[in-house]
Amino acid sequence: MVLYLLRRAASLLLVLFGLAILIFVIARVVPGDPARIALGPMATPEQVLELRTEMGLDQPFLVQLGTYLSGLAQGDLGKSLLTSRPVMDDILAALPATFELVLFTIILQIVISIPLGILAAVYRNTWIDNVTRVISLIGVVTPGFVLAILLQLVAAFYLGFFPITGRLDPSIAFDADITGLLLVDGTLKGRWDVVADAIRHLILPSIALAMAGIGQVVRITRSAMIEVASRDFIEASRAYGIPERVVRFRYMLRVASVAPLTILGLEFASLIGNAFIVEFVFSWPGIASYGVRTILQKDLNAVIGVVLVSGVFFVIANLVIDIVLGLLDPRHRLREGGRK
Amino acid sequence: MSEPLLDIRNLTIGFRAYGQYRRVLHDVSLSVGQGERVSLIGQSGSGKTVTMRTIIGTLPMPPGEVESGSIQYDRSSLLDLNKIERNKLKGTGISIVLQDPMLSFNPVLTIGRQMDDIVRYGDARLGQSRSRDARRRHIIDTLDKVQLSDGDRILDSYPMMLSGGMRQRVLIGMALLNKPRLLIADEPGTALDVTTQDEILALLNRLVAQEGLSLLLITHNLGVVREMADRIYVMDKGRIVEHGTREAIFNAPQDDYTKRLMAAVPPLYGPDVVTITNDKTAPKPAIAIEAVSKDFTSRSGIFNQHKTEHRAVDSVSINVAQGDIFGLAGESGSGKTTLAKMTLGLIDPTEGRIEIDGQDVGQTRGTADFRKLIQIVYQNPGSSLNPRRTITDQIAVPLKFTGHESTRIKTRVCELLEMVDLPADMANMYPHELSGGQKQRVAIARALSVNPRILVLDEPTSALDVLVQSTVIDLLHRLRAEFDLTYLFISHDLSLMRNFCNRVGVMLRGQIVEEGPVADVFGTPQHAYTRALLSAIPVTTDAAEALKPKVSKEERGAVLNRSTAIGG
Amino acid sequence: MSAPEMIDAKAQRSLTSRQMAMYRFTRNPAALIGALIVVSVVIAAIFAPWLAPSPESAGSFVDFRNRHMAPSWDNVMGTDNVGRDIFSRVLFGYRVSLGLVVGVLGVAVPLGVVLGLVAGYFGGWTETIVMRFTDIMLALPPLAMALAITAVLSPNLVNAMIAITLLWWTWHTRLIYRIVKAQMNEDYVEAAKLAGASHFHIMFRELLPNCISAIAVKISLDAGFVILFGASLSFLGLGIQPPTPDLGTMVATGAEYMPEMWWQAVMPGLAILYAILGFNLLGDGLRDMLDVEL
Repeated sequence: MVLYLLRRAASLLLVLFGLAILIFVIARVVPGDPARIALGPMATPEQVLELRTEMGLDQPFLVQLGTYLSGLAQGDLGKSLLTSRPVMDDILAALPATFELVLFTIILQIVISIPLGILAAVYRNTWIDNVTRVISLIGVVTPGFVLAILLQLVAAFYLGFFPITGRLDPSIAFDADITGLLLVDGTLKGRWDVVADAIRHLILPSIALAMAGIGQVVRITRSAMIEVASRDFIEASRAYGIPERVVRFRYMLRVASVAPLTILGLEFASLIGNAFIVEFVFSWPGIASYGVRTILQKDLNAVIGVVLVSGVFFVIANLVIDIVLGLLDPRHRLREGGRK
Repeated sequence: MSEPLLDIRNLTIGFRAYGQYRRVLHDVSLSVGQGERVSLIGQSGSGKTVTMRTIIGTLPMPPGEVESGSIQYDRSSLLDLNKIERNKLKGTGISIVLQDPMLSFNPVLTIGRQMDDIVRYGDARLGQSRSRDARRRHIIDTLDKVQLSDGDRILDSYPMMLSGGMRQRVLIGMALLNKPRLLIADEPGTALDVTTQDEILALLNRLVAQEGLSLLLITHNLGVVREMADRIYVMDKGRIVEHGTREAIFNAPQDDYTKRLMAAVPPLYGPDVVTITNDKTAPKPAIAIEAVSKDFTSRSGIFNQHKTEHRAVDSVSINVAQGDIFGLAGESGSGKTTLAKMTLGLIDPTEGRIEIDGQDVGQTRGTADFRKLIQIVYQNPGSSLNPRRTITDQIAVPLKFTGHESTRIKTRVCELLEMVDLPADMANMYPHELSGGQKQRVAIARALSVNPRILVLDEPTSALDVLVQSTVIDLLHRLRAEFDLTYLFISHDLSLMRNFCNRVGVMLRGQIVEEGPVADVFGTPQHAYTRALLSAIPVTTDAAEALKPKVSKEERGAVLNRSTAIGG
Repeated sequence: MSAPEMIDAKAQRSLTSRQMAMYRFTRNPAALIGALIVVSVVIAAIFAPWLAPSPESAGSFVDFRNRHMAPSWDNVMGTDNVGRDIFSRVLFGYRVSLGLVVGVLGVAVPLGVVLGLVAGYFGGWTETIVMRFTDIMLALPPLAMALAITAVLSPNLVNAMIAITLLWWTWHTRLIYRIVKAQMNEDYVEAAKLAGASHFHIMFRELLPNCISAIAVKISLDAGFVILFGASLSFLGLGIQPPTPDLGTMVATGAEYMPEMWWQAVMPGLAILYAILGFNLLGDGLRDMLDVEL
């Protein structure tokens, strides 16, 4: 198990390293002078030249890459042109909000989609299956921004169940200075009003963000369960008189859960991507909002930083999923060969 | 036999699929008496698996439908029982051993966990309960019965960590955990090597006697039936065509199908054995393998830093003369396929050299001349034919890349199809429209398309039913005579080899332990392994049984991997 | 043999595989609906100038007297903030969406398929390089990357296409790679090698036909997702720029008049949903029919 984890971690680290280089190369290869882009068409050549020197753009490409990578190793992502603060500080300030949203979303996805998938498989070809099918279809085909707007319109505006935007009601004074996560800090400080309000704010954005993944995972759980059901060892368990509920929920689910978990890991990047839309619509003060703002301002350092941090998120999420898979399925860790 | 334990009467079952209804069992009647060993024999698709599933209650319904008939087990009518009573019998009244010892385990749970669940829920249904320790003791006792003494270690293992033979034993142990009265075994040991299969069959026989079990054995192998059955039912296309005592069926089969089945099984010993000879004399051998070895390297560790060498073929030397049918016999992992691949130039030997028709394989492989010299027919035509290409397209590939003109290719394909007795209108079909035997004929036609002198036959009939096998073997004999071919025939089926080859070599752990003309190797086997192998083969007549070589326990132990120990 | 296989084997003897596939397809009303939706979207896109009640709405036409009109018989989807007929703009919007689909998949699919074939077939370090690279690409949040690329290149239809294509091919590479890897264990590949077949022949004549069903299903599902992706870009203001009628942009503009004049955002939103739904149902139907795992 330890060896397995080390191997997985090593290969993910490699992905991260490659990612850093790739993003840097893309940023430098795209046509246009970053300094010129940042300053806009009204800037004088002198201003551009000054910024180029400041950004190190006059150096040879490899030197720039080296400087960038060594800065990266020390947690330095450069300075944001938009806020004039270190990108790292900006990102760290916005990170907890995104983390809270994403975590809440993933929990929502797992809690809703895996049971639904099992139900659909167990009651295959009945009305239950059809209803689940429709739910997952809606999830898959509804664009995130359309869903976000509809939710805002119906649940928040017309019905008034939930706040329209933001992370916490402005009338509540609270300083999330422990972890930055409102739910965690609120609980630690015993501020239940904060926790309740934070959950109310979280619900709509996380539903908007979760639906696409829910649609996918329901389908995959269903087909994995059906596939496992036809395996010999399930027939054997039934023939040996193991009760049906044990066969379904312990024997089948454990084997069948590998596929949906893997998909959740792979879809994580899309999730972060979609967070750009959802945070934008709900004015959620996270890194995606920051990302959209900096992208619109062509603030390259900040954009690179945001994409890179998203990549780190992806890598960590997949490492966690690998650990879970390793615990669920001994073949996963014994086949220490590595690649999935 | 006053009252049978299991009594199936006039069972008719059908399936509804794709809007059509098909009957798969027609009026099947079958009974198993108390302590009796009954075999149900049939080829694939005969309906024997459907019968088994209906008895144990795992046939999915729908799409399955029982039209009529009844199944009586110990005075209760299985098809009429309610779900709870039906489930009570599972594992405790009737238990099964499924065919494939790899696929019959849950891969993510330890053996111990799986066996404990069976005992625990079995107890619960019988209204009793035992402590975890008591259950574990019971499981270890049961493993002892199937001759697995290392119970503790086995229970902590995952299925993938055990060898095939051990898994098969554990599987039998699992079936016995709740002390069933009727054991249904589906092709036990078929997926294993013949020596392991032999041990498993002996074990089953002993358990039936010791535990007073009734046994319903489902198999396609007549030899196995002769060793395992008191009474036999022969099934064909969903009907029982004949039944009777073992003696009656083997000595005086009445039904035409049974007779054909008997005739199609190649005899290992006795008067019906055919001995092939090679009268050709040629100065140089067709295949000369000189001191060839092959090592495989596997890597492990975080950065693949640990290398482990494994010797798959160990200094093998063979000469195959022009016109020979040389049989390379051996169990799985003996290195016979690796040797064949080196002969075809697909992988390089680590040491030694191979010459085909006097030319070094290392230098000539990949050339058109080499391809005109040697070709291969694979074991499974389902895999060796591309499912998405027409028969013509596939047969044409070797022609195309050996410089044939496209106008000539079409006529050549028709010629080839005729040569392997296939109608010309199959040329535009896809493989899935053909039967297994027809597909293998296509594969043979493809191999012969560029007129090679040598064919490597990698178990060419093992994926086929025995009736089809005999027709393909006849075809291969005819083609050899017609086109002066030399065959290198790889197989684990020694009965077939006895009648098909003129020379054989026996491989064990990468080495050739014995080699010579068939009559000598089979008649007076010198090496203990050859004797062990021959004695393990289930044969179909008492005469053949008597002629099999005898092997002492010590001799066996010295040459065989035991299926009872971890890492064995 | 498992139960469904067993039944399949039985059924195969009396039905050809084509009949079975057709049976599956016709017993699947969802797939038929999907096909109808896709056909209607394609027709709408091709014949937009003739079908649209107000073709001039496609451009920068302004009719302030009729702005912010709720859906009615004259304007079935209402009018927008400058009085253009939303239904007409939706029809033209489909042109843009489908153009995007064709542009992206036309490049990404062949590229992804060829790389997947090459990586799976040659193995060794061709495989390592290609597959490691796709692993890295996978870690990029696609929408963020596409946003960044279009922002730097300046937002328009062609650049959106380029950005999406750059991110899209990896999925096809992974799919084809996985299929090819499995197929490489089949003996027919070795048989072709022994028959002297060229690498090109094995990859494109032997292996590719075995990937076609999966590619067809994937393309159908993808078409919907490309539409969604393009609309998301436009929604954030970095895709297709006005006055080109783009569905994502229409939602974004309409969102400013939420919730009172909801149709301005909701109607184009539903139009996007309709197209994606069609491609998805069709893709699912094809998947059942051709019996492929993605």
